Order: sequence, then structure tokens, then C-alpha cells
Amino acid sequence: MVGLSEGEKQFLRGGIEQDLRSDGRTRHQFRSVYVETGVIPQANGSARVRLGATEVIASIKAELGKPSLLHPDKGKVSIFVDCSPTAAAIYGGKGGEELSMELSVALERCLLGGKSGAGAAIDLSSLVLVEGKVCWDLYIDALVVSSDGNLLDSLAAAIKAALSNTGLPKVNVVLGASPEEQPEVDVSDEEFLQFDTSTVPAIITLTKVGKHYIVDATSEEESQMNSAVSVSVNRNGQICGLTKRGGAGLDPSVILDMVSVAKHVSQQFTSDLDSEIAAAEASDE
Amino acid sequence: MGPPPTLPTSHSFSSPSPKTLQETKTPFEIRFALLSSLSIQNHGMRHLKGEIGVVSKADGSALFEMGNTRVIAAVYGPKEIQNKGQQMNNNEALVRCEYSMANFSTGDRTRRPKGDRRSTEISLVIRQTMEACILTKLMPRSQIDIFVQVLQADGGTRSACINAATLALADAGVPMRDIITSCSAGYLCTTPLLDLNYAEDSAGGPDVTVGILAKMDKVTLLQMDAKLPLDTFENVMQLAIEGCKAVAQYIREILLENTKQLESRRGS
Repeated sequence: MVGLSEGEKQFLRGGIEQDLRSDGRTRHQFRSVYVETGVIPQANGSARVRLGATEVIASIKAELGKPSLLHPDKGKVSIFVDCSPTAAAIYGGKGGEELSMELSVALERCLLGGKSGAGAAIDLSSLVLVEGKVCWDLYIDALVVSSDGNLLDSLAAAIKAALSNTGLPKVNVVLGASPEEQPEVDVSDEEFLQFDTSTVPAIITLTKVGKHYIVDATSEEESQMNSAVSVSVNRNGQICGLTKRGGAGLDPSVILDMVSVAKHVSQQFTSDLDSEIAAAEASDE
Repeated sequence: MGPPPTLPTSHSFSSPSPKTLQETKTPFEIRFALLSSLSIQNHGMRHLKGEIGVVSKADGSALFEMGNTRVIAAVYGPKEIQNKGQQMNNNEALVRCEYSMANFSTGDRTRRPKGDRRSTEISLVIRQTMEACILTKLMPRSQIDIFVQVLQADGGTRSACINAATLALADAGVPMRDIITSCSAGYLCTTPLLDLNYAEDSAGGPDVTVGILAKMDKVTLLQMDAKLPLDTFENVMQLAIEGCKAVAQYIREILLENTKQLESRRGS
């Protein structure tokens, strides 16, 4: 837990009111983002993202599976977040499970769309190889290594970077003579298909402290929040998902205002992230 | 970017990724992996890498790599005891340790529940080993938490965790008698092998993990599975101890380098 004295709290709140936060940023400014790709050699794609002192690793593993009966034309994606006790002592034992679950669900909501898979940021139908028979199952595992606030935004950024680092092997499927027969699958180890990540949204969390709201809050700032709204916005400025956290109620007009700010901030953040990913990919080669 | 190394061509063992090694399951392939690793590594130590201060919020932290095995350790404390019930002795510091493995650390993706038998055992082993070197009497009524997180597992995670924990404790400034280092050794095809990787470990030979207090030359951790003739055991253990000393040498260099940097930052 963050232990702040009364004076420190006053300083923090006063700074936010005057649009000058304790690390010198303005209210709507992100910390600088650092991306490294290909950090986990045994995964299909992986990335490490640092946002200030927050550090997360995301890895993508692809396995061949069978589409579900309800959605034979869609692949499956699942997201698991783990908060390592190295990030904070309170995540030791069973302590991090609740937060891990909250983050996993929020990410699934923002990236995978509704139950039917409609409106998903990751194109689920591109994961199908033979309708109703063979598809890719993507397992997205994320690990919080070091935590200094704004975990959700960093996790979404790491997943985006890991996806753009992912190459799915080219697969040749030979269908059996009868429809009951399992198709034969031949996985190529030379040809890889790139993943299109241009539709993957960025998540922007706006944390309300006092009357104002800030982006990319540090853990000190998060300890002073009344409520927070996480908005996922894609490159076209469309909103893909929304989560509100924290106890205090918000006026509906404030929420709309927050969403429009998130949309505005996301443009800068997405372009920063994209150029970082491109730089990481270039140095990875 | 280049193709990811998940599905490599079957005979490229020059840089064995854990996935490659875990996929080689037939006896022939394991032998092949062994022979090639023998010729490449010359039964020596795998590449070592250590880095201090990787988790900014922790009191002390370190990353340690032994070949493809990569672990992070973070130390919180000494601090006030949180759960008074755990306090055994009023005159000594309480040392706690937790070992966890990332879902993506192994070749086959598995989702383990927290606190399964294996990780509980390793947590205990690390805690007991580190307790041997921490001067707990100097910090009564306080608690030191050591958390180790495995990012990549390719054999010898126990040793790597102990080495990482040593670095992290030193970074946190916890008073210690000596530095503890650990290394494993095995015996395969009538050759003693140092620092086993996953394929060598799963080939079925014995695996001897040793932890020593480097300067005092005392063994604080010794574990072995499978059977081994007594005279061979002596050789294998001696080899593991040599490995520990090599790790100790490396860890000292890192600590010295880190201290030099701190000194230059202070500007004295």
C-alpha cells in the first residue's frame, strides 16, 4: 500500500488542480513508453512494455484447436493476467488473484468484444483455418513485473506489441474424405503470417482525483482517486469498450467529457506506441 | 521481424530454445540433444547474466540468467512483521520466500494454481538457504520478503532463483554473512555435467543441486534425485561446487560493478 502523509496528499492534489503533477507532467500527459519485443523465445510473440516504473510482459502462444459449436467461423482468444509478487508484496500468496482477475476481465471486455465475439479488436474470423474444424487458439498471458499504477493501459499496450510481434505458422489442411474424419494438418516451420494489429485499440484510463481527471496515474495518484474510467479507443477514434472502477459516482455529463478526452489522448498515445513498436521490431531483427 | 523461434527446424541446437528441448522426446532425440550440447558447451557452465535493480519499486531486485533459464527476484524489507502469528522468534528477523512460475515460462503452456506442491517446496528450499546467510539476529521483530519469479525455465531454476535472491538481498542492503551461490551438476553417458538444462535433466540421470557459502566454503543446500555410486557422487558434487564458485566469482564482479556505479553517481 502507498503510505502518504497529509502534506504529501495536499501537494499531490494541489498539483493536479494546477495542471502540474509531482513528476512534472500535465494532467493529460503519459509517461514515456518503452517497448521491447521478442523477449520470450518459446512464445509465438512477446513484448515487454515499460511505462515509468510500471513494467509488464505479454506473451502470445498459438495452438491448433477446434472452433466452438456456437461460433464455427471464429477462433478463440483468452487473456490471463498474473500479478507477480515481485511487483508488490501484497500480491504474494492469494493476494494478487482478485486484481489479476479484474484486469483479465477488463482486458477481455476491451479487446475481445461481446460474448458472440462481435466487435472484437482482434479479428477472430482470421484465426479460422477450416470452418467448424480447425482454428487457432490464442493464449495471451501477461505478467505484471513491476507496478507503479496504470496497469490496465500498460497491459493493453504490451498485448498490442506482442500481437504485432506474433507470426502464426502457415498451415496446410487436408480435409478427410468423409466429413466426420479429422482433417490432417501440416504446420509449416518456415512461412509465417503476420498479425494485423492496426485495429487493436489502446486503453486509456482516466483517474478522477478531486475535481479533475488525469491520465496514466502513478500508484501514489491512484491511492487518491475517487473513481476511474477506462476507455478503449481504436485508431479510427471508435470506442471499443468501457469500464468504470472505484466507488464514487460520476455525473453522466462528466463521463461523456472523459470519453472525449480519452479519445483525444489516445491519438497521441497510439502513435507514440506504434513508433516504439516499430523501433523495437527493427532492433529485434 | 524474423520468424519466431517456436517451431524451429528440428536440428538447430546451436541456440536451444526451451521449446525445442521440450519437444525432443524420443530417446534418440534426447541423446542427440545431449551430444550436441556436450560438444558445444564442453560440459561447462551455460552463459551467465546478472542485472541489479530491475524492479524499481522493490527494496532490492535482480535478474539472473543461466543459459535459457531466466528469473527475477525482488526483496521487500526489512520491515515490520505483518502477520504476528508467523513470528517464531522475537530475537530474529522472519524470512519469507515465495516462488512462482509465469504461465509462459515453459514450452508447453500450463496454468498452475498458486502454491502447488512443487513451488511450495522450492519456496521452502530457497528460504532455508537464504536464512543461512542473512544475519537475522541484527534485525529482531522484522520481516524480509523474498519473491522469485521464473520467466523462462530451462533446467536449474532452483539454482538460478538462489543466485538471483542473493543479488537482490545484496541490492536491498540486507546484512549477510557471505554470498550464497548455487549450481547443479549431473552425470550422463559416464560424464559428469555441470549446470544441466531441461533436456539433460529429463534424460533421467541424477541431478545434484548444491548451494554454498562462497567464502566460508560451506555447503548449505544439497539435493539429489536418482541413484549414483558413492565415488561418482563425490566427483559430481565437487563439480557442482566448482560451478558454485564460478557463479560466486561472477556475482562478486556484478556487485562490485554496481557499487562502483553507485559511487560515481554519488559523485565522490
